[in-house]
Amino acid sequence: MLRGVRKWRALAPTLTLPRWAGEGIGVAVLVAYALLYASPYGLRVLTVAGVYALAAIGFQIVFGLGGALSLAHGAFFGIGAYATGILGSQWGFGFAATFPVSLLVPLLLALLVGLPVLRLESHYFALATLGIAQVVHLLAVNSPGLTGGANGLPGVPGIVLFGWAVPRGLPLAAVVWGFVALGGLLAWRLARGRWGRALTLVRDDPLAAGTLGLDVGGLRLAAFALSAVYAGAAGALAVHTQRVVSPEVLEFPIMVSVLTIAVVGGRGRVAGAILGAVLLLHLPEWFRFLERSYLIVYGVALLATIVLAPHGLTGLLDRLFPARPVPLPTPAAPPETAIPTGPLLRVEGLTKGFGGVRAVDGVSLTLEAGTITGLIGPNGSGKTTLVNLISGVEAPDGGRVLMGGTDLAGKRPDRIARAGIARTFQAVSLPEGASVLAAVAAARLERDGSIAQAEAHALWALERLGAADLAARPCAGLPAALRRRVELARALARQPAVLLLDEPAAGLTDGEKAELAGHLRAIAATGTALLVVEHDMGFLLPLAGHVLCLDQGRPLYAGPPEGVRTDPAVVAAYLGEGA
Amino acid sequence: MITLQLLVNGLALGAAYALVALGFVLVLNATAAVNFAQGDLVMAGGLLAVALAPHLPAYLPLPGLLLLPVVLVLMAGLGLLLAAAAYLPLRRRPPVAVFISTIAAGIILQNGASVLFGPEPRAAPPLLSGGTLDIGGLVVAEQSLAIIAVAALLIAGQQWLFGRTQLGRRLRATAQDPEMARACGVPVTAMILVTFALGTAFAGAAGLLLANRYFVTPTAGGDLILKAYIAVTIGGWGSVPGAVAGALLIALFEVGVSSVLSYPVALGLLYATLLVILVARPQGLFGEAARRRA
Repeated sequence: MLRGVRKWRALAPTLTLPRWAGEGIGVAVLVAYALLYASPYGLRVLTVAGVYALAAIGFQIVFGLGGALSLAHGAFFGIGAYATGILGSQWGFGFAATFPVSLLVPLLLALLVGLPVLRLESHYFALATLGIAQVVHLLAVNSPGLTGGANGLPGVPGIVLFGWAVPRGLPLAAVVWGFVALGGLLAWRLARGRWGRALTLVRDDPLAAGTLGLDVGGLRLAAFALSAVYAGAAGALAVHTQRVVSPEVLEFPIMVSVLTIAVVGGRGRVAGAILGAVLLLHLPEWFRFLERSYLIVYGVALLATIVLAPHGLTGLLDRLFPARPVPLPTPAAPPETAIPTGPLLRVEGLTKGFGGVRAVDGVSLTLEAGTITGLIGPNGSGKTTLVNLISGVEAPDGGRVLMGGTDLAGKRPDRIARAGIARTFQAVSLPEGASVLAAVAAARLERDGSIAQAEAHALWALERLGAADLAARPCAGLPAALRRRVELARALARQPAVLLLDEPAAGLTDGEKAELAGHLRAIAATGTALLVVEHDMGFLLPLAGHVLCLDQGRPLYAGPPEGVRTDPAVVAAYLGEGA
Repeated sequence: MITLQLLVNGLALGAAYALVALGFVLVLNATAAVNFAQGDLVMAGGLLAVALAPHLPAYLPLPGLLLLPVVLVLMAGLGLLLAAAAYLPLRRRPPVAVFISTIAAGIILQNGASVLFGPEPRAAPPLLSGGTLDIGGLVVAEQSLAIIAVAALLIAGQQWLFGRTQLGRRLRATAQDPEMARACGVPVTAMILVTFALGTAFAGAAGLLLANRYFVTPTAGGDLILKAYIAVTIGGWGSVPGAVAGALLIALFEVGVSSVLSYPVALGLLYATLLVILVARPQGLFGEAARRRA
């Protein structure tokens, strides 16, 4: 059995289907269905499926790629619908005027509410966006003067494209699916490009994304706003299809349908949105006996998918037809960033308290170009907090972090990263769904013009650490030592002037430690200033030119490494008073 | 007098909301999962009472109160089902998976109810006779007092269970740190099942209590989950007494504003308050420690 599968797997790459085969067959089937088999009613269902596909493509951007479970998507859909409905039926505006407004109004609302709401973590965000949706629904039902109240507004005009009034049936279906194709292509290109990669990193690991120079807040807001535009477009098309607008377009079932389509189709995939929409809009037709309660089918489909096939239908298809391995790029050194000599980073009187505890209490240090500084101290002495403060992961209460005359203290992590500071984390976090090459290339997304370029530079960084053979492997399931190596490569790919390492030798064997020490020396030799937090004195002391020891947030010792073992204060801090 | 009357009405509504929020927060604490179906479970409890009422022998008094134990037991069973279908298979996956699976469970409940009962609002039997009491000029619906009494008893029972019993100690250990609890020999999965059963039973009781005064429709859950959420947010995310206090607060607000302005305005203001609290103080008005757990 297993051998059969393996044999088939080995054969699969030789069955060279063109790259577009899957999509091409899908489009052909849809077109053939619309032309040959669809009744007027069937075309109507297909048109509505197109509307939902467009909304779901937008939802893939904010939820699938961005990882934010926005329950306001249905509200944006409804607002787009109402914009078209009110302007079209009450004010007599045509499609050329109403459609842009239907995109613009949700966009503006998304920008307005997005700024505060996007800062919230997962379920806070989901329920806050649900709150927004409920407020919008309340407003629509209770302002009859504007929206027609609970009855809604009839008489919404049809679509007029360049003077052509699009009739119902096949032409309307074609126009709606034309918008789906346009929106799908745009989203697909965005998802595969630098922006999409950056967004997925923000989803998987916002902390690391910030320290790799990515503007986490800006990326999330852009995704939220763009998704609102898609929802608004879908809402407008929905109203043109139905010719009336009523509060139903703002009710939770729309949101549920879009969420279900995205999850069942496959999170984050444009093809998933389209596949899910076509399938789920036709499901109730096949389950006619359920009558109006087709949403039960949605609920069951959603529950079954999330439990049994977390990557949705496109995930299942991927497993049946695995993608051919992409050849590795040719490694290329990123353009040299000139690292000045002398003191690169000066920390002055840095202070941070949590509750009543002073975690870091007036720490000063200077990192010189091309040197390695060791940061030691007992557990809880504030070492990691200091690294967090310098890299912007936490904001200091006081003090300065000076780099080239600029005070970076309290700045956003991406600003600090762009100033030339890179770091690794004590608990290594890599995006589990990505390959090693993609994970390292994330460090170059903010700088390089294309993914290909970023991956070439990433391979160069992996090569420098003797880890190029890892490039094609998935991050998931990588042993601890290799994970640390990959994370170091990611930091190195940024060609930082200052590199902060939080316990890089933890969990390594003696041989691996020696190898790591060699790599760190080589990095310092290029002019980078290193700050290494470490417990392993046997590893650190021969490596560091200078050592700073913290105790309860305060500097206890600063000087050459030889002095550490004999300094009475350090010995007392490590071994306890009177030892 | 009118303000006193509103106060009693508000307290009755708040007592029921408190049960909803309490069930929500118990599950949240034990599993770190947001049970989005909690509002629909309230609806299910109300409709269960509607469905069961005709089967009570006509000569028995206090129809609503007699139904309470039946609703509690059946809803606890539904809670076990919910945990088995929507939580246990997903416990090793990111929290958003459980969030979506409970949304799905809510959709199934909501639309199942709409198939079985139709979209019309329905009333469950009154807890007591349905009359009013005159306490020194203050006319109070017996129903309100009964709601307050039943909810208070259930909440006190929960406090006793968690505070004084061996089972309660294990439930609390699970809520505090499942890994640690498992290491100490607590059957964590069983405790999570008990928590789901308890949380769902509370939702069902709230449904029974509310369904006479406020009627019940299949889509009533959407607003209720948000109110439970607001109560929990006001009370400090994860705090049991905070959830009860938050529920009383929003109910008084709702009844007060509804009487002066209108129910939609009260609802709109509540949601607006939720947004303001979330943005300004996401850890809740009175809580800090719970934030990291959630």
